[in-house]
Amino acid sequence: MGEVLHVRDYRAYFHTRRGIVKAVDGLNFNLSAGETLGIVGESGSGKSVFLLSLLGLLPKPPLRIESGSAQFGGMDLVTASEDTMRSIRGNKIAMIFQEPMTSLNPYLKIGTQLIEPLMIHRNKTKDEAFKIVKGSLLKVGIGDPDRALNAYPHEFSGGMRQRVMIAMALTTHPEILIADEPTTALDVTVQAQILELLKSIQKETGMAVILVTHDLGVVAGVADRCLVMYAGKLFEQGSVDDIFYRSQHPYTHALLKSTPRLDKALAALPSIAGTAPDLSKLGPGCPFDARCEYVKEECRNSFPTAKRTEEHESFCHLEKLP
Amino acid sequence: MSELQPVLTVKDLKVHFKKSPGYFKPVERVKAVDGVSLELRPGETMGLVGESGCGKSSLGRAIIRLIHPTEGTIDIGGTNFLALKGGALRRARPSIQMVFQDPYASLDPRMTIQEVLAEPLNAHLRLSSEEKNRRIQKIISAVGIPKTAVHKYPHEFSGGQRQRIAIARALILEPKVLIADEPVSSLDVSVQAQILNLMKDLQREMNLAMLFISHNLAVVRYISHRLAVMYLGKIVEAGESREIYKNPLHPYTRALISAVPIPDPKLERSRTRIVLTGEIPSPVNPPSGCTFHTRCPYAVEKCRTTPPELLSFNGSPQLVRCPEIGRIPRQ
Ligand SMILES: Nc1ncnc2c1ncn2[C@@H]1O[C@H](COP(=O)(O)OP(=O)(O)OP(=O)(O)O)[C@@H](O)[C@H]1O
Ligand SMILES: Nc1ncnc2c1ncn2[C@@H]1O[C@H](COP(=O)(O)OP(=O)(O)OP(=O)(O)O)[C@@H](O)[C@H]1O
Ligand SMILES: [Mg+2]
Ligand SMILES: [Mg+2]
Repeated sequence: MGEVLHVRDYRAYFHTRRGIVKAVDGLNFNLSAGETLGIVGESGSGKSVFLLSLLGLLPKPPLRIESGSAQFGGMDLVTASEDTMRSIRGNKIAMIFQEPMTSLNPYLKIGTQLIEPLMIHRNKTKDEAFKIVKGSLLKVGIGDPDRALNAYPHEFSGGMRQRVMIAMALTTHPEILIADEPTTALDVTVQAQILELLKSIQKETGMAVILVTHDLGVVAGVADRCLVMYAGKLFEQGSVDDIFYRSQHPYTHALLKSTPRLDKALAALPSIAGTAPDLSKLGPGCPFDARCEYVKEECRNSFPTAKRTEEHESFCHLEKLP
Repeated sequence: MSELQPVLTVKDLKVHFKKSPGYFKPVERVKAVDGVSLELRPGETMGLVGESGCGKSSLGRAIIRLIHPTEGTIDIGGTNFLALKGGALRRARPSIQMVFQDPYASLDPRMTIQEVLAEPLNAHLRLSSEEKNRRIQKIISAVGIPKTAVHKYPHEFSGGQRQRIAIARALILEPKVLIADEPVSSLDVSVQAQILNLMKDLQREMNLAMLFISHNLAVVRYISHRLAVMYLGKIVEAGESREIYKNPLHPYTRALISAVPIPDPKLERSRTRIVLTGEIPSPVNPPSGCTFHTRCPYAVEKCRTTPPELLSFNGSPQLVRCPEIGRIPRQ
């Protein structure tokens, strides 16, 4: 299938009074139609900043795109005008945000918020829009759409708000769905239902999905490929099997080990000691150096270049992970 | 552990929200929590899992008296918590704290981390500023935030970092009971493991009783001694966590456990799941009889009419709200 997004050397920094925060520092990947790309990584590693800045949703300043390009549909999202971005957002590229409460307007009824984008982007009449919206609410498992449409966001539980966001994103038939922690607030039976729904839409329409999640189980279950980020850097990418069975990076390895599993009772959960570094005080080395059990001299001095086997790419000075 | 007196006893708690859908329409009642009883002992963690919207947060909020329960009683260390007023209530509050589900909404954006953490200390304890700083430094390093970051504002932190701050704020008063509402769901795995181990350690050190709300059953398995499974405002299964994971009884618990994703792509590709169909019912119009019957693969006529009770299974400590278990095939 064709490539829908092509990201090269993407760097997005915040210029703050306390210094430069290198939130995204060199991201490369391709996304094909129908494909699901999982993005995992340390909290604060730049996943949300990357996605939000890609859609032009972060104020500049303080943010600045330092370098790179993001090719989508024959244009570069990095240099596209605000008008172009506005016509793409919530339409060709839809996004489900990590913070449903901040992306739903607390003063407007859910119905108004769902119906307006359809009337604006898709020229639907109010009645048509109502029908579409009710349909998508039912699809995401909101059994009483009439009540939902008449409610304000605070009247919903976290999971219900999240499902409303998902319904909203799906009404416009996007080419790419960007989902930042879309199912964290959901219980697993509903999560399974929603992930199934996304899969079937992908099959039907070729929609590509970028899925940010901390749940490695979800990645194992639905992603085709996976990208591992740490402190704004790309640490490893490959097929899910590359990442889960042939990982070449100590951070990925540690992540997998510290995931509690339902199929295994654990007396103790290994965790990675220390904390992620301050992104405004990064040195020239690998940002994982202080927490890595295999750290050596060169790790402190330079960031490694890529080691590649076909699609599998990893950034570590180690010859081979023991 | 069971020989200890419970530090928290909740009996028949109900939280019903009234809401008027419009003029000339009857007032609706959302039965968010509909008769929940539970006990927590010092040093014990009870996991609370269940469908999104089933009332877990409402239960937690009612227990700390953030919202007023419609019915029921809450006893904390022998005092009737719901009857407390004024000074007595203020003195009792530090002993029960909550970490909220939404770390974005729960931290005041205009306060630095230092101020966020000083606030509960100022409100409840009289400490010298040295002692105050000592406590803040201690808790901040316990939750893994750099000490140099205390003068930053919440928006300067990532979601995960903010959740650690929220945990620090709840623990700084050294409570007896901690209600943790999805405390690790926004964290990456390495931090999640740290926080879970941290919560386990702090719990042992402080002999904390913890109600741990989460939809992540793998996390709950790791941290909980006991487990309660909720569906539409009611507990449908409860007991020793180990037993329930080994032998889930209620059809909803079984579906839940079978839907948990496992971080192993090959296993995931070959797994068969109990996929629930049917609408997720609304708590305004909960289904008649057993509220799970609309999605239950084993429902029979009786399930549509007779509301089941939460009863011991074969005289064991495992409680289940389904009289039809004997009939349901074991996995
Ligand atoms: N407005 C801002 N000014 C300065 N730094 C910021 C700003 N917004 C975010 N950051 C920093 O950018 C980095 C990346 O944050 P981001 O929210 O992308 O992390 P994330 O990977 O999505 O984390 P999580 O998994 O916790 O959601 C963090 O270190 C954060 O502190
Ligand atoms: N202030 C309120 N007014 C009216 N209804 C409410 C209010 N707060 C919650 N509800 C309703 O009560 C029910 C239970 O909500 P609650 O937030 O307790 O669920 P939850 O189990 O915590 O869900 P989640 O896992 O999604 O966080 C939901 O149907 C919700 O819409
Ligand atoms: Mg994020
Ligand atoms: Mg909740």
